[in-house]
Amino acid sequence: MNTIVQFELSDILPRPEAVLQDQGVPGDRPVPDRIDAVFTQALDIFARSARPTGTISELTAEELTPIFRGEGENEADALLARIYHRADNLALFALTMGSEVSANIEKLFADNDFAAGSMLDSVASLAADKASEVFEARFFQDLSSRGLITPEHLVLGYSPGYCGWHISGQKKLFEYLEPDRIGISLNDSYLMTPLKSITGLLVSGRKEIHQCEPHFGYCSSCKHRSCQERLARLVS
Amino acid sequence: MSLLEQISTSLQQGEDKQVFELTNEAIAEGIPAKEILDNGLIAGMDIIGEQFRKHEIFLPEVLLAARAMYAGMDQLKPLFAKEGIPSIGKVVLGTVQGDLHDIGKNLVGIMLKGAGFDIIDLGKDVPPEEFVETAVREGAEVIGMSTLLTTTTPMMTQVIELLKEKGFDSTIKTIVGGAPVSEELARDIGADSYGYDAASAVDRVKELIG
Ligand code: B1M
Repeated sequence: MNTIVQFELSDILPRPEAVLQDQGVPGDRPVPDRIDAVFTQALDIFARSARPTGTISELTAEELTPIFRGEGENEADALLARIYHRADNLALFALTMGSEVSANIEKLFADNDFAAGSMLDSVASLAADKASEVFEARFFQDLSSRGLITPEHLVLGYSPGYCGWHISGQKKLFEYLEPDRIGISLNDSYLMTPLKSITGLLVSGRKEIHQCEPHFGYCSSCKHRSCQERLARLVS
Repeated sequence: MSLLEQISTSLQQGEDKQVFELTNEAIAEGIPAKEILDNGLIAGMDIIGEQFRKHEIFLPEVLLAARAMYAGMDQLKPLFAKEGIPSIGKVVLGTVQGDLHDIGKNLVGIMLKGAGFDIIDLGKDVPPEEFVETAVREGAEVIGMSTLLTTTTPMMTQVIELLKEKGFDSTIKTIVGGAPVSEELARDIGADSYGYDAASAVDRVKELIG
């Protein structure tokens, strides 16, 4: 079943330190007042204009196979290929912060308010990341309430464009999940609009199925090494 | 402190309203526009660029200073009406066709402008022909292309090939950048240069122009 979810703003607002770090401001120094003021301005605009919405749908490994295969461009050793068959439950999701946030980022840049535009961009990106964590937690709770989770279980998200799952995988994912129903569209280069949107697969299974050493060929070109934090969750 | 030093200091503090007022004051005092530009606005931005490189200040502070610089430049523009604001080189900049990400490209444009370049920003989703036609028509020395997706990097190749086809590859140089782009990819597709970030893009464009 395909469910549509409106996220609570309080669940997805990023921590100030995370936003400032994303802006290149180190955490070990006092934040100048003028940077703090820009942060407050950006957070306020985000709170007013974000429409955080998601859609999620459970599916079987058999249903996932053609979606994951996508356009046939995955790496031979794509991480998910050796994980999803061993999973107990799977769900595809898409989420977005809405188009108004992106319009506001553009407007701030057009008005030469670059600092606020860039800060709002960071806030919206990190909020989108947090929303995908909310989806992980919700899926975990939902499975828990159905008695499908043991203390050995972990839910982790995997996204097209990461870990050998080619970004062209977005096409089949879109055909199955139809995120256009929550206002997300996909162009020929597999780019989603609104920009602050994420898709992925939630994988619930025993912790060991997620275990890996991030030394694949494709790891060297990855600029987003969130895998270390993810792997840390396997031992926590 | 001289008026031009005050402009530079206010700019470094990101005080756009002060820069606006001081620039008007300098114009009223008869200081030549080129002097206000070079010794007030660009001088301030140079210091900001240096402090950013040394990690003494951070992106938001650079962007506040950039806004202040634009506030001053807007006042100078009418004085340069005919020939336009003098620059150390002209760069046509854009996000390639198929991609709508422009924050990275915008940051590069802001830093280049702060360093004294004339920037023609074509925006995002820019077709290869538009890059080349604009650069030729405007007499630009450099085309700068940005993208955040691997799927749109072939568009960069198309621009480079189009330049060759039209015989402008020796007069118009190319620089590429963005998350999926690397020094190696830039070399492979025949780009003249690669910028890792906005600060290095400034150095690289300066090298290209010589
Ligand atoms: C002309 O000369 C020059 C010179 C220098 C130039 C230049 C031109 N242009 C840029 N530069 C340079 O200077 C600028 C300033 O320093 C820099 O510009 P950037 O534009 O790179 O930098 C921006 C100012 C800040 N950087 C960013 O905003 C991007 C950072 C990373 C971490 C990133 C983020 C934050 C996000 N993302 Co995602 N994201 C990643 C990125 C990985 C990374 N570390 O780069 C990337 C771009 N994302 C990726 C992916 C896959 C995705 N993302 C997605 C989503 C997201 C978030 C929403 C969470 C968030 C916002 C993105 C957005 N669309 O606004 C999805 C797509 C979104 C969409 N709209 O389609 C999704 C598809 C994941 C999914 N399935 O949902 C990867 C793309 C891989 C590919 N094959 O193309 C990715 C490279 C991560 C990776 N795997 O390594 C330099 O590159």
